[in-house]
Amino acid sequence: MLVETKNLTKVFGEVRAVDDLSVAIPEGAIGLVGPNGAGKTTFLRLLLSLLQPTAGTAKVLGRNILDGVPLRERIGYMPEHDCLIPDMTGVGLVAFMGRVSGLDADSAIGRAHDVLQFVGVEEERYRKVAEYSTGMKQKVKLAQSMVHDPQLYIFDEPTTGLDPRGRTEMLDLVRAIASSPGRNVILSSHLLPDVETICKYVVILDGGHQIAAGDLHDLLTGAADRLRIDIRGDREAFVQRLREAGLEAEAGPTGVHVGRRPGVEAEVFQAAKALGAEVRYMGREIRSLEEFFLELVARNEGKGA
Amino acid sequence: MTGVVEAAGISKWYGEVLGLNGFSASFGPGITGLVGPNGAGKSTLFKLLIGQLHSDQGTLRLLGENPWNNVPVKRRLGYCPEHNTLYGWLTGQQFVEALLRLDGMPRSRAEKAAEDALKLVGLSSAAQRPTRTYSRGMRQRAKLAQALAHRPEILILDEPLSGADPLARVQILRTISDFAKAGGHVLMSTHVLYEIERVTNNIVLINNGKAIAAGDIHSIRALIDEHPHAVRLETPQPRQLAQALARMEHIVSLEIPEEDALLVRTRKPDAFYRELPAIVADTRLEVRSLESPDDSLDAVFRYLVG
Amino acid sequence: MSISLPTYTRREMPLLGRRHRVRAIITTGLRREFKRPAVLVVIGIGVGVTIISSIVIVLFAGVFLQGQPLDLSFFFTPASNGAILFFVTLMASVVGSALIADDLQSMALTLYLSRPITEGDYLAAKAAILAPMISMIAVFPLVLTPLVAALLGSFSWTIAVEAIGLSFLIGSLFTAFYTAATLALSSLTRRKSYAAAGVFALTFGLTIPAGILAGPPFNNPAVLYASPWENYLAVARAAFGAPSAPIDWRWSLAILLVATAIAALATYLRMKFVEVVSG
Repeated sequence: MLVETKNLTKVFGEVRAVDDLSVAIPEGAIGLVGPNGAGKTTFLRLLLSLLQPTAGTAKVLGRNILDGVPLRERIGYMPEHDCLIPDMTGVGLVAFMGRVSGLDADSAIGRAHDVLQFVGVEEERYRKVAEYSTGMKQKVKLAQSMVHDPQLYIFDEPTTGLDPRGRTEMLDLVRAIASSPGRNVILSSHLLPDVETICKYVVILDGGHQIAAGDLHDLLTGAADRLRIDIRGDREAFVQRLREAGLEAEAGPTGVHVGRRPGVEAEVFQAAKALGAEVRYMGREIRSLEEFFLELVARNEGKGA
Repeated sequence: MTGVVEAAGISKWYGEVLGLNGFSASFGPGITGLVGPNGAGKSTLFKLLIGQLHSDQGTLRLLGENPWNNVPVKRRLGYCPEHNTLYGWLTGQQFVEALLRLDGMPRSRAEKAAEDALKLVGLSSAAQRPTRTYSRGMRQRAKLAQALAHRPEILILDEPLSGADPLARVQILRTISDFAKAGGHVLMSTHVLYEIERVTNNIVLINNGKAIAAGDIHSIRALIDEHPHAVRLETPQPRQLAQALARMEHIVSLEIPEEDALLVRTRKPDAFYRELPAIVADTRLEVRSLESPDDSLDAVFRYLVG
Repeated sequence: MSISLPTYTRREMPLLGRRHRVRAIITTGLRREFKRPAVLVVIGIGVGVTIISSIVIVLFAGVFLQGQPLDLSFFFTPASNGAILFFVTLMASVVGSALIADDLQSMALTLYLSRPITEGDYLAAKAAILAPMISMIAVFPLVLTPLVAALLGSFSWTIAVEAIGLSFLIGSLFTAFYTAATLALSSLTRRKSYAAAGVFALTFGLTIPAGILAGPPFNNPAVLYASPWENYLAVARAAFGAPSAPIDWRWSLAILLVATAIAALATYLRMKFVEVVSG
């Protein structure tokens, strides 16, 4: 298990930010999802041993979170907010953070160059961080979390403020780290499609509780196995024709949904041919993480009220 | 056809720094997404549109009028700036009300209009709380409420979704869609391309201060000749299917990346999609799924901006 | 033949212990300070002025300080040099005020605390950056003066060695107080200028009014306990056996030690609970 908590609770004054949370998170690429105020940041800071729990216990990588120092040797953290020291150079900062993690001075410089190369900070690494663009700063933040080669990476909203190119690059880097053997990633993000493409397992928090957790694929594949078709042409006639062929078909905002059974694809192309319509997309219907999330949160609110 | 926004050769320089450089585009009605890398000129365009800046060259028309120093046209637009700082000591209600009063609305009406706007964005329950206690998603919605409250004809939204949690995102996108459905125009920028695609197919792609593409995403994609359109078909008989498809003249390449898939690249996607159903139906080959990883704003952005 | 794909290579070396990590913060911090022109100017002028004035006192003791016996109590004179107070304050505000405030401003504190060190390690490292800088003015000249005096033959080595030891102790006491107080002020704000203003307020806002209220016409020596400098002078007088102070050195020593401890504890608690994470 990557993270195991038992009745973990953290109270700030009146607010129960994390409330009696018991989770068992397997190793791998983990998505951490929840609305604002769900307790995600508090949970991450508890895992990093930056906060002491009010009650309950937790283990990260098999170690008690009260262990602090030895635990943080194995974790790389990329905070959401700016956190770089502006008057240091990129390579100087990453090497410095390596040394604060326990690397000797020479190895730290070597590692700093390796990880900056990996994240794609080239000549800029000799310039001061204060002069960097947002994208470059974000990459240095990523690099500093990698310098001591941790087993667990905690990324808090890593794509915040990035433009489309920067986002793609950052997501590719996170994906590359998540797919390296023996390396685990906890990705906290509001952009659920990003979580969907990177993570294999999700934990959904709301109000300090876990409201769902599990393998992403299992969570999103509902019992109803349906086909989604994006059709250009006479949609009504197309649906009508499929129904005449004895299929369950209905038109929705995201396309035409057809109940699955052997040979359904052939019927779709037959219908399209007869109507002169174009099939722009055809594939298994999977709920998006967002749909799933919204449903869950709505249900959870209903329970609370 | 005249657009809601008409820009012809606008340039704006900050000393030597590029803001816009010969930006020409015409867009609207409805929702238009403005996308481009950082520093492309999006915020400059917004500031020109709301009349905060004056362009150095070119002509700009918003709702048919020159926005510079034009108070009447400001009444017809609602603007959401990118930055997220509000007057923290004001409640959401006071914040929206104060801005409405600046608009010249009498107090009695402003109160009601602010309430309505906050309800529209789903902030009614937090309306009496000071905005400094708001999360970022709530701040975004408060900003949207003040942009909507005076019932403008066009909304100009700079990154209205950044920092918002999934619930707030859905609420904001719904509010925007409803506004457009009721006949309003929206110009919004975002860095998250799939969010734009959820509300509109119309985009303006901006890079280096120029509009490099404007219009329907799929039409723009079709115009990009040097990158043939890729379509991925899942089939147990990829070789037979490849044989059948090879007859189409516009096919550039056929590739079998896996034993149960066929990757087709075509120069004329419309023709391909038109002809495909007949070929599949006639040859009785099994095609289990069909998708184009290439027909999206993401692909358009990648090919045109890099 | 081999191909190395552009991925990040694995770290093979074991990690060094916490002492090395703290030392890394200290050396990096000191190196940064020694690159700053303002710091170099304060060091240059501060150390220069305090040393030169101390040595001048030694050389011309017979001329300036008639009636002053040339025994241990002589060394109270260089220790009570007002330049020390001024330059310690300047050094504390130039170097110390930014040490934590800047990390709060840039939110780099999160970066430090997410590393395998504790809040205590972080504070110890910051104190170890500031203390040597302050001691260059508060300790170094005091220790140097008896040494020079003995080398010149003005004093016997027995007195000089004793004076060196005492100078070191009281200089360290003053250094410890200013280090702790400055870090406490620096941890309270994101703006180093506020912390620097606080250091000046601590020095002059307390010393000058205390001096005025203690003298005629008020004649209220008890207010001198409020001034760190007067407390330091009282302790130094007692240490060197100089004519006794208007206030009791035991109380003064206790006040300085307790104030140092409270400042250190307050900073530690502030570190422990500071909320660096934004919404």
